[in-house]
Amino acid sequence: MFVASLVLVVSTGLLFFYFQVACQRILRRKFDQEYFLAIVNANRLEFPVVRKALEEYEAPVEYARVCMTLKCDYLALTYLLKNAANVNQRYSGEERLLILYFKAVFFSLVARHWLRLHEQPPIFKLTAILQYFANVIGQRVSMVRFGNLTASDYLLSL
Amino acid sequence: MSDPEKAGAWCVRTGLLTLRYLSLAVQYGIYVGIYLLEAGLLVALVVRRRLGGTLPVCLYLGLLLAVDGVGRSYVLYRYGYSSNEYGYFYWLTDVLLALGAFLLVCAFFRRACAHEAKMWRFVRLLLAFVLILTLGISLFALSRNYHQLFTGFIVDFQQNLYFTCLVLNTLLYILMQQIQSTDDELNLLVCGMGIQFAGPAANFALVHLTPGQDYASALYPYLGALCTMGMLLTWFYALVRAPQPSAIRAGEVPARELAAVVSREA
Repeated sequence: MFVASLVLVVSTGLLFFYFQVACQRILRRKFDQEYFLAIVNANRLEFPVVRKALEEYEAPVEYARVCMTLKCDYLALTYLLKNAANVNQRYSGEERLLILYFKAVFFSLVARHWLRLHEQPPIFKLTAILQYFANVIGQRVSMVRFGNLTASDYLLSL
Repeated sequence: MSDPEKAGAWCVRTGLLTLRYLSLAVQYGIYVGIYLLEAGLLVALVVRRRLGGTLPVCLYLGLLLAVDGVGRSYVLYRYGYSSNEYGYFYWLTDVLLALGAFLLVCAFFRRACAHEAKMWRFVRLLLAFVLILTLGISLFALSRNYHQLFTGFIVDFQQNLYFTCLVLNTLLYILMQQIQSTDDELNLLVCGMGIQFAGPAANFALVHLTPGQDYASALYPYLGALCTMGMLLTWFYALVRAPQPSAIRAGEVPARELAAVVSREA
């Protein structure tokens, strides 16, 4: 009975661990430029500000505001991911996986808040996922050309 | 029985039957998805001429396809789902697949230690010892309990086998972190393997802990298949979809540009 309990706990833990490692590997993908900046500016997304505030100023986490910000950015980016410069108008496999990962990390953020644990690690993970989404959208959009300008040049000139 | 009672009983029976057919359809859908992924990944590796670098993965995929896709489907078609033959074939091939996965993890160890000859010498001995031990115990336990395979023995046995593989896989992951391996592809392959071992091990332990409860054993066809699918999708991303660092071969650089660079260097 003891061995079976041990196997159950360790295996379940490792299942989630490997799932997280696979997601982190996808997030480590290097883009040839910072595509996300144009998307952030054009759509007035706020996740870089949240990250900067936590990284540089070590500001205390305003839970309600941060949650709302990240949720709004997530909704905007997932909409763009599906509809902006996407011929098939559907998510790819890794995007679906990362959407699932975002939801799991968001749940862990809520749980940490209620348990009064450190909230910063999940917030950094959530901003990393959002940055990846913005990079993917930016890269797709940059391939579309309007005359002499790429879409991201056009967005930056706004 | 009055008419409303009869109607109620008929509704319940029809509902249960629909649920059963629905669950079977979902199960078949998952399995067809797995076979397509296995075959697709194998074909993609052959077409991209990556057989040389990923031979152990290809061999394992071939085994998976032959046993899971062809062998089990044939035995199921021939003898039926609730036959003893199918039961024996399913569980014995499951042991075979777990041992195949064990050998694949050993091959991953070899790849991780490619630049660590000293460490590989030690790891090789350890792996050989664990392999002989696992193989010996498996064969001994199976031969002793062959006629009472379905009396809970197989659950216990599979739980231990999968957990041993999971521990070995996790040791490999830790080793890769220790030697700061930069092989991202291998990292994802190891993650996929971890998902494949962890789900079934947890499920077998749950079956063991809840004797007489059908839901735990009913979960296995779904959880086991979904974990296999998770592994295959992770491998697909690692081997086929992940953006590779673009290496420039000499032939791809225009000769004029190359000459300009050489004269500038001179």
